[in-house]
This record gives sequence, structure tokens and C-alpha cells, in this order.
Amino acid sequence: MHYPWWYVPHITAPMLIAVIAVVHVLVSHYAVGGGFFLAVETTHAYRTANREYLGYLKRHAKFFVLLTVVFGAITGVGIWWTIGLASPLATRLLIRTFVFAWGTEWVCFVVEIVSAFIFYYYWDRLPRRLHLAVVWIYALAAWASLVIITAITAFMLDPGRWPANHDFWSGLANQQTLPQIIARTGGALLLSSLYVYFHAALAIKEPKLHALIESRSARPALLGAAMITVGGILWHLYLPDSAKAAMVAAPVLNVFMALLFAATGAVFLLIYLGPYRHAGWQTSPGFAAALLLFGVVGFTTGEFLREAVRKPYVIYNVVLGSQMLCDPAETARVQKAGYLQSGTWTKAFVAEEYPRFFTKAAIEEALRAGDSQSLFPRDAERLQALPGEDRIALGGLIFQYHCNDCHAAENGYSAVGPMMQGWSRDMIELAIPVLHRTRFTMPQWLGTPAETELLTDYLLSIRPPRPKGMLPPEFPLPTQSL
Amino acid sequence: MDPKTLIDTSVALPLPAPVWFIELFKALGFSLHEVPMNLWYAGIAVAVILGILRSGEGRRFSSRLMTQMPVIIALGINFGIVPLLFIQVGFSQVFYPATILMAWFWLLVVCLLAPAYYGVYLYAFGLAEGAAAMRPWRRAAGWTAALLFLAIGFIFANAMSLIENVPGWPGLWLSHHSHGAALGTALNLADPRLWPRWLLMFGLALGTTGAWAAFDAAWFARRESPAYRLWAKRFAWQLQTVGVIWFAVAGSWYAFGTWPADTRQAMFLSPWVLLTGMTALAPGLPWLLLWLARRREGELDRGWASLVALSQFGVLAVNAVSRQVVQHLEIRPYFDIVAQPTDTQWSAMAVFLGAFVVGLGVVVWMIWQVVKLPPQKGAS
Repeated sequence: MHYPWWYVPHITAPMLIAVIAVVHVLVSHYAVGGGFFLAVETTHAYRTANREYLGYLKRHAKFFVLLTVVFGAITGVGIWWTIGLASPLATRLLIRTFVFAWGTEWVCFVVEIVSAFIFYYYWDRLPRRLHLAVVWIYALAAWASLVIITAITAFMLDPGRWPANHDFWSGLANQQTLPQIIARTGGALLLSSLYVYFHAALAIKEPKLHALIESRSARPALLGAAMITVGGILWHLYLPDSAKAAMVAAPVLNVFMALLFAATGAVFLLIYLGPYRHAGWQTSPGFAAALLLFGVVGFTTGEFLREAVRKPYVIYNVVLGSQMLCDPAETARVQKAGYLQSGTWTKAFVAEEYPRFFTKAAIEEALRAGDSQSLFPRDAERLQALPGEDRIALGGLIFQYHCNDCHAAENGYSAVGPMMQGWSRDMIELAIPVLHRTRFTMPQWLGTPAETELLTDYLLSIRPPRPKGMLPPEFPLPTQSL
Repeated sequence: MDPKTLIDTSVALPLPAPVWFIELFKALGFSLHEVPMNLWYAGIAVAVILGILRSGEGRRFSSRLMTQMPVIIALGINFGIVPLLFIQVGFSQVFYPATILMAWFWLLVVCLLAPAYYGVYLYAFGLAEGAAAMRPWRRAAGWTAALLFLAIGFIFANAMSLIENVPGWPGLWLSHHSHGAALGTALNLADPRLWPRWLLMFGLALGTTGAWAAFDAAWFARRESPAYRLWAKRFAWQLQTVGVIWFAVAGSWYAFGTWPADTRQAMFLSPWVLLTGMTALAPGLPWLLLWLARRREGELDRGWASLVALSQFGVLAVNAVSRQVVQHLEIRPYFDIVAQPTDTQWSAMAVFLGAFVVGLGVVVWMIWQVVKLPPQKGAS
């Protein structure tokens, strides 16, 4: 309501964040884990004077740079782009709160990029100690960037004492930070091993070298899977109650949770029984691709879960999914003046498109009276007098700004229309004001009774009728039973 | 509709640093970003054109620049994070609405950047196999990258001019909406400032590419022939000349033809007239240095080339500061960044500045180790 809402048909704007974020984490975790892989393995290869292995590591470094420095950087920028477009209030709050954390992370990026390029482009020219120093600098800088960004994303799920004191360090030192750092570091180690398996399966034909790579990468993969498990358990232990309840209440989250553990477990077992226990094991490209796919499934579901359990918040107890602050004063202000009149853009839109509803004279009169409450009875009367199509249009405006953050309209992601299939007007009108009570993952409705009617008009216009031919037939419900 | 009503003032989130600090890092970050950004903006176009010419030295320069380009792009994207971060800190009330109104195009930047970047890599890998044996599809990838970067520049010019074009928001919003929600399909095409801004940056980019040609020849082309280095010196001046003329034409169009009266008055009166003059005249300095170098016999020495590069950076820095001042003047009637409350996060700022110094030290150390390496046999 403070910013224009971006209407993305069918999938909703925030889902774009999810799409880009998932793609990004699949690369960014490899950027961290792969850094440790290259550092540890290059150290090992130099120590054992294994020229063949060094040759492979150089090839892998090229693949690594092309994927992480290029694609990782672009998708990272993509997240910045989409969060600002789809969730401007929360982004503004996060940036104003953590600009120096992001600035420090940027310093890490600079170090990462320079060290990654020097490590790869000067492979055959740098003295051994210097070459190793550069790759270890990369690995540590990449991990430091993981720690910083994880603390910020953890803040979104648990802002700690920040809401009370607005202190930078209180925000970062929340209960979710450490569990998520453990889980993400584990994820980085595991995912990088899966990338290594996949790359080696395609790039290496020599059996001895292949077997060496398989066995060397098994330990960090298993360690990573263990860290994901430990971090995941701690994450769950320290979840806010609403997030725990959301996981139990939403069937899809249960499925995703099961998928996450199944995928992580499957990867653990396959690596343990395969390359870890059987020296000389060689991963075929198909097997490596399947392993990577399991990893991708685990990561994707994990990220979706992390996002979904926050509902109804974008930032827990700070910013609601409806792009409002969880501030009692703001809630009271909006409820008093009405949703349409409280939002910067909704108010401007109504004034422009429906001047007879919010006439300048009426607003000035109310302002003179010094009581915005005085606007409401007259507005309600005007709203009721509007023609049906205008009421639907205004209801659509409310829907876009209050609901479209999480719900598509007629069809698409979590579409409201099909959810209310067959609902009567009474049912919708009664449900709207109490949705946050009937379902705690919904934000509080902030409209006036007149605005509830407008939204009802709109929802009725997109609600499909009850499917035909269903038995027993639909009987009208007595009003008092609703 | 009064555009001022579209700027939210109800959420009071204090700035985490003094305005001067935000402005400093925004301008510094943009200046740093401008160097590599200029090189890909005009440099790739220049390189792919030179790549098809018969001129041997021109093709050498093309190959050199495109081989360096992946690293240049990586640094450019990275340096771009800083101004993007600080513009969101200080100007969120205008940055978000403007970019949301053109959301799909703004997001398109990311979608275009990926093929552009990989296109450069494909071209560069082709060069590694031998410029003469360059396959047509790799060449096409280079051309595609050049066009995509120009398109990205156009979208950026749209976004940055739309941030300042607050009076244009209502019209764009009301003609591109669904139930009052922005469709994200608006472009700031009707704003007269858009076109000269886009073109102005291309003029600067030509100058930066010229300065880079001189700097690269003096510092990194030790294995190239003396004839190449002499060619590079001449070419740098020629490119700089085209860039200066381009900048002068586009800059005049921008300042005299599109600035609102208030902005023009402010920029041509004390104290800003000094900055306006510096911005207009600054591109003459690297041009003059290259012209003097051209009159001297022999190759460009490293000291002179560094002076050229430094003066070009100065041109970009002055330009960045000017843009900042104009941005303030244009936005101020609707939103005053200076009037925002500030609650400085001193300890967090200290950590950032500490990390900045340490990180810079580590980067300088690594680069110094590379610079100290003995020249590689047969390499350039």
C-alpha cells in the first residue's frame, strides 16, 4: 500500500523472487562449497604432486568460474531486482537495517572475484604457495559472504530483539542465524560434491583419476549431509510457534519437508554406499545427474519451506505479506481511515478514477473537521451508491493491494477464485474480517465494513459456481448457521 | 493527480548513515562501476566492429579487449552493487515506484545480462582458439552481446530518468494498470531527458574505451609489436575525439534542451555552475593528454598512460557527482532525501569500513603478486 503493487498474472510477483532465488542458491552454495573443494583438493594435489589431479582441478576451476562468477553473480543481482519490485516495503526495511552487512558482503564478493580469476587465469604461473593462498582466500571470503547473507535471511524468520531496540547486532544475532549457517554450510559442501561428481563424470575418462575424485569428494558430501541434518533440526527447534504450526497445518509443506529429508537421505545413502565405501567406484553420468537432481530437489524444497513457514509475514512480526508494517499504530490508522484511504497508491487511484467518491471538497471538509473518522460514514454511503461495475473494480483494487501478494485471482498460484468455489455472498462477507482467526497464516483484514462489501463484490465476480452434478445437492444454509 | 501524493511518507524508517555518507558511497560506487560498464557499453561494439576489419592492429586491439572483457564484466557487475545498494538506502521512496512501473523491463536487465555475458565468453573462447579461425556463430555471439548491452543501457537510462520524472508517474501508471496495480510495462519514453542521457553515456563510454586502449597498450601489451602500441596511441586519441564530440552534442542536448527551468537555473548558478563547467570540460583533459602524446614521437609511456586513465576516471567521477546533484534537484520538489531522519549505525559502519580496508588490502596484495610475476614466454 505504500508502493505501487506489481501485478504479475497467475503466479504473483513474490513467486518471481522464489524462482530466481532458488536458481541462485543452487549456484551460490556451489560457489561456497566449490571454493572449499578447490582449496582442499588443490592443496592435496600439490602435496602429493599429482599432476593429473591438478590438471582436472584446473578444468574444474574453469567450469566453476563460468558458473559461479557469471551465472551466480547475475542471478544474485536478479534477487536484488525482484525483491525490490515484489516486496518493496520489506526490502526497504532490510536495506536500511542491514546496509552495512550487505556492504561487508560486497567486500567479500570483490575479494572472491579477484581471487577466483587469479586462481584460474594464473594457474600455471603462480608459485605453489601463492596459488594456494589465493584459493584459500577465495574459500574464506565466499564462506564469509554466506554467513552474512544467512544472518540477514534468518532475521526474516526471527528478528530477535530487533523489533524492541532496532539494533543492527540484535537483528543479526537471532536464534535462526547459527542453525541456518550450519545447514547452509553443509548444503554448500554437499552440493559442491554433487557438482564435482557431475562434472567429473562428463569430463574424466581415466578410471584411476575418476576414482580418486569420487572418493575425495565423498567425505565433504557426507559431512555436508550431516550438517544439513543438524542445522535443520536446530532450525526447527528454534522456529517461532507460528512457523511450526504452519508446517503442520499445510499439507504441501509436509510433503516438502518429507521430500527434503528424503532427498538428503537418498544422497547420503547413495554416496555412503557408493563412492565412500567402495574404493574405485566410478560414477556414470546418469548416476551423477541423478545425484545432482536429488540435491536440487532437496535444496529447492528447503528454500520453499524456509519461505513458506514465515506466513503471514515477510519479516516475522515486522512486515506482513500484505505489505504492511506489523505496527499497532499503523493498523489502527488504517482501520480508522479505511484501507483505500490509507494506502498511498490506493488513495491516489481512487481520487483519480472515482472523483465523485472521494471529492476534493469532501476530503477538505473532513480535514477541516480534524477527524478522518468523519469521512467514513459518508464514504460508506457513497460506496454503497456506486454502480456494480465500479464496486467490483474498487474491490479488485483492494484485492491487488491486500491479497495479491500471496494469491492469484481467478487462476494461478493459490488462486482465491477456486478456493471460494460455490461460496455464497454471505459466506465470503463473513469470512473476510475473520480470516486471520480462522487461519493464522493469513494477515489481518484492515478494511472497513464498506470495503469488505467491495472486496466481496469482486470475489463473487471471480468465484466459479459450485461444480454441477455433485451429490448430495446443495441446499441453502440458514443464515444463523453461518 | 498531484505526483507528490504518490510518494509514501507514512513509514518512518531512519537512514542508517548520514546523507553525505550515502551520497559518497553512491557516487564512489557509480564511478567505479562506470569504468568497466563503459568498456562493455561501447567497448564491445567497437571491438566487434574492429574484429571484422582488415586492419591487423585493429583486430589485435579487438582481440585484446574481448579477451579481457569477461573479467571487466565481472568487476562491473560487482561494482554496480554499491550504487544500487545506496540508492535503495537513500532514495527508496522514489526508486521502488519508478522501477515497479517498468518492472518487466527492469527485470529484463537480468535476463539480457546472462546471454550478453555468456556471449562475450563464447567470443573470447573463440579468440583463444585463434582469431583467424573464429567461427561465425561465435562472432554472432559477440555482436549479440554488443546489442544486448546497448539495450541494457537503454533500460537503465529509462529507470534512472523515471526516478527523476516523478510528474510522469501518474500518466504511466494510469495507462498501464490492472485494478490499480502496476502492470510493469511502462517505459519512460515520453521523457525528453531519456534519449540524451542514454546517448551521453555512450559518448563517455567511447572516451573510456579510448583511454583503456592507451592504458592497456602501455601497461599490459609488452609482448605486442611496437607498431601495435603506436597504433593504440593513435586509436586512443581518435576514439577519445569521437567520444568528446558525442558527449558534447548529447550533453548540450540534455542540459539545454531537456532540463526543467529550475534545474537549469540551479546548475548554471553558483555554486553548482562550477560543477557543471567541470563536467562539461572534464572530457577535454584526457583528450588533451592523448593529443599531446600523439604529437610526441614513440610509444606512450606508462606514466603518461596512467595520467590519461586517471583523468578519464576523473571525468567519470565528476559526471557521477553531477548526476547526483541533478537527481537531487529534480526529485527535491517531491521528496527531500536530506529531510529524512537519521539514526547512524556507528558500530556496523565501522565493521563495514574495516572490512572495506582489509578487503582492499587483500585485493591489492593479490594483484601485486600477479604484477610481480615474470613475463610469460610467448604471451601478450
